Amino acid sequence: MARLLKLALAALALLVGLAAAADAAEPARKPFRIYMALWRGWEEAAQGFKDYFTNQNIPVELIVRDAGQDKSKLKGFVDEARQMKVDLVFTWGTTVTEEMLGRFDAVDPARHVTDIPAVFAIVSQPVGGVVADLASSGRNITGTTYLVPLETQLNLIQSYRRFRTLGVVYNPLERNSLVAIDGLKAAGTTMDFTVVPVPVDVADSKPVPASIAGKVAELKKAKVDFLYIPPDTFLNVNRDLLTQAALDNAIPSFAAAENPVTTSKAMFGGVYRYYTVGQLTAYKAEQILVGKVAPSAIPIDAPKRLSILINMPVARQLGMYPPMNLLGLAEIIDPNEAKP
Amino acid sequence: MRLDSSRSLFVRLLALAFLVLVPPVIGLMWSSLGEFRQAFVPEMDKKAETVGRDLAASIERAVGYGIPIDRLVGVEEFFTPVIAANPEIRYLAVSDRDGKLLFLKGGDAVALQPHYSTADFDTEMEHGRKASIEHYIDRALPVLVKGNRVGQVHVGMDEDYITGRLLDIVADVVIVMVVALLVSFELLLFVVTFNITGPMKLVGVVVDKVRRGDFTHIAGVVSEDEVGRFVGAFNSAIRHAEHLYRRLEAYIEEVQAAHFDKTVVERVTDIQARVRFLFRFAPGGNPEAISERQATDIRLPLFLFVFAEEISRSFMPLYVKDLYAQIPGLSQVMVIALPITVFMAFIALASPWAALLTNRLGSRKVFLVGLLPATLGLLMSAMAFNVYDFMLWRSITAIGYAMVTMACQGYISQVSQQDRRTQGLGVYVGAVLMASVCGTGIGGVMAERIGFRTTFVVASALAVLSGMLMYRLMEAGRHGDDLREPTRGDFLALLRNWRFTVLVMFAAIPSKIALTAFFFFLVPLTLAQQSGVDLADIAQVMILYPVTVVLLSPLAARLADRLGWKAGLVAVGGLIGGVGLVLPALWPVGMPLALGVALLGVSHGLSASPQLAMIPDVCWTECRSMGQTNVLAFLRFAERVGSVAGPLLAAAFIPLYGYGGAAVAVGAVVLGMSTVFALLSLAYRAGPHIQAEFL
Repeated sequence: MARLLKLALAALALLVGLAAAADAAEPARKPFRIYMALWRGWEEAAQGFKDYFTNQNIPVELIVRDAGQDKSKLKGFVDEARQMKVDLVFTWGTTVTEEMLGRFDAVDPARHVTDIPAVFAIVSQPVGGVVADLASSGRNITGTTYLVPLETQLNLIQSYRRFRTLGVVYNPLERNSLVAIDGLKAAGTTMDFTVVPVPVDVADSKPVPASIAGKVAELKKAKVDFLYIPPDTFLNVNRDLLTQAALDNAIPSFAAAENPVTTSKAMFGGVYRYYTVGQLTAYKAEQILVGKVAPSAIPIDAPKRLSILINMPVARQLGMYPPMNLLGLAEIIDPNEAKP
Repeated sequence: MRLDSSRSLFVRLLALAFLVLVPPVIGLMWSSLGEFRQAFVPEMDKKAETVGRDLAASIERAVGYGIPIDRLVGVEEFFTPVIAANPEIRYLAVSDRDGKLLFLKGGDAVALQPHYSTADFDTEMEHGRKASIEHYIDRALPVLVKGNRVGQVHVGMDEDYITGRLLDIVADVVIVMVVALLVSFELLLFVVTFNITGPMKLVGVVVDKVRRGDFTHIAGVVSEDEVGRFVGAFNSAIRHAEHLYRRLEAYIEEVQAAHFDKTVVERVTDIQARVRFLFRFAPGGNPEAISERQATDIRLPLFLFVFAEEISRSFMPLYVKDLYAQIPGLSQVMVIALPITVFMAFIALASPWAALLTNRLGSRKVFLVGLLPATLGLLMSAMAFNVYDFMLWRSITAIGYAMVTMACQGYISQVSQQDRRTQGLGVYVGAVLMASVCGTGIGGVMAERIGFRTTFVVASALAVLSGMLMYRLMEAGRHGDDLREPTRGDFLALLRNWRFTVLVMFAAIPSKIALTAFFFFLVPLTLAQQSGVDLADIAQVMILYPVTVVLLSPLAARLADRLGWKAGLVAVGGLIGGVGLVLPALWPVGMPLALGVALLGVSHGLSASPQLAMIPDVCWTECRSMGQTNVLAFLRFAERVGSVAGPLLAAAFIPLYGYGGAAVAVGAVVLGMSTVFALLSLAYRAGPHIQAEFL
């Protein structure tokens, strides 16, 4: 009897195996399951990521989770992704990425996703954070950068108008801003301009949004030629306050991120569009899932095409019109666009 | 330089060919140019309209975004690349709706404003308003925003541009025509000397013998044409005379044997003795066929071969620039100079060896064997990967070049008797110069149209053609006269002759420096940097050199012979060449390089043949002891120090003084050395007048 049972079990196993083999041979693949951990809800990068799979006709099942800017939820995401045994994890933003995947020098298999391959996007400073080197993560993850190199940004500002003084209002608590200011100062010595950095006020170890307008007025007194808006989460959240203050003081502003220009009143910016970054991230996911390339073999890089964004109403209000050459290359943001 | 005796006839023939062919071709060209011009104008109009419409659209977009047309930013920077990409567009401008000039790139605002102020831009809005302003055709396209004209974009086309383009085409056609005529002249010369004057000369030789009663030879010409038949008839006349003589002999012998009258026998024997004294016949009754080889036989293969090498003359450094690869420790211009230097060095090193080889194996074999590396080198130059392998292919070509030229010189000196050697060497120099004119001229035109690499393939095909001709036409010649091989002591003795050393150091070497540093290297490189200069234009400037040499050489040779003033001509030539290069630094001239090239041609035209002609005077004893050929070969070898050093010298000057300055610096070096020669040559005393020789 036991013998018979064993035989039956073996036969069953064989059948299951055959079925599995037949399944694998079928052209309609089982969709890849991708766990998307977001920070501020569904936006352009996530959309670009999703659209890529649709356009490439790669079946995917997206499990979308939004932390809603609440760091405490991220531990649960790690556990959930493991339980669901997803094929890939997508992390959005520096906080989500560092919390779920771990900083490069502090990876803990207990707290971080390590056995599931992961791709990250919208991480401002991946080097020294989530990875040690852009050429290879050295582990089971890869991703994209989305910041335009500082030198490119500065050349872009120069091609709009020559400047000698660059003002920066920043959050002294955010690492991204500090890195950006160091970079600006270094570039200033070679490109011959001075940087006027003004930190916002901090109360209860939190930056105070109400202090922004006053800081911009300080820059006006320092006669800066441009306001540089670094890729800073605090400033991104308070972009309306910042850019309106710049406009009130008649200071043209350049943003290293997309939102201050597209959804606020920064005059212009040089960015990689989130949507494009999302697509590039999806391409890397495709290499991992379909191409079976090890994530550590895929370098971390940025999209090839730079987007120049010009906020035309702001430029008009400042009377600082873009040069013809830039106008030909730029995406013009003009809500009440007058079609010629 | 005196060419062979049939030359005067051919010069006249060539002149006739020019007279018959050139006027109709020019007429034809003129009328087609008229048509071309008519077709060109609407094309330019269309282009102006397209460019203007594009620019207007950009400005419309900007104005549409709310930028006032008079406050547009960076308009000139916006126009700059458009003007750079379209040489026929001289200016671009924007004016407002009242015609006030707002932005202008490339034109003269003072000249344009009055026209714009008075013009009515509301008419002809569809294709733009066309107006002629001074030398320009101004086309104004409206800038329309929401259907309202807010201003206009002006595209200024240069009327002279069409004329300039047409002149370019005329120049190309003239060069192609001249080269075609020269090539057909070479072919004609070859066909006529090979088929007509050659056999005639031979008949002349035989007739001359017959006149002296020598019936032992007939003319060895076998051909199926009129000439062949004539020579055949002539030969059978000799054979007939021979036959009659045999019959006379037989009759005399019969009389001698059978006649009984002793006096009659004596008379007959007397007649026999007188006949035998007056006439000579071939023993055995079979006259020997003579076939004399001539220097001109080799002219066409030599011409084609040198043609093949000269084709790359006008663009060699530019091709190397394309192949540029870093060579550690050398600047870019040094690397570009290197292949020319390597080529010259290999010719210098291979020539003495090739001369010995020619002595041993005969010229035909050396010519044919030498064509292998030459053709391979040219073909592989076409496919060169970078400057490293290109230098290898050039050195292989150089070895082939040395073998072929030495074989030709050997052949010529072999077939020319001492008294006709100058003529024979005239054939050599003539073929080389003609090939230089043709190669330089057509090479640029060709490279402009089919590219450097394909042009090299054409060159290798020409080399193959030259080899086929050589193979078909020349019978294997006998081996050379056994030249005494000179020893190192001979050369030291030569160098102890201060006149010779001064001639080498301060006349021959600077002359080669000017040639390779300035003409081979700097001229193509510098011209290529000027905007709007294409390869054909470079060739047009460079062809001035061989043309001037061709025109002046015979004159200088005659002058040197008549006046016996050889050192003076050499000195004057050297000074002219140096002055030509230095001149642009002293006061600005229109086309400094063209002037320099032409004066270099004058310089070498004046000094080249007197320089060689001086050798027998200057080295009278050495020519006796080691042979004039060896003295001249040594001069050739020594002067190549200048050829090798020239490009390197120029490349060293470029970082210091720029391209224009490098030419002047080379000129200063040449002028300095030539001045030394001029001063020292005053100490030369006119030696015995000995016929000029080339080797």
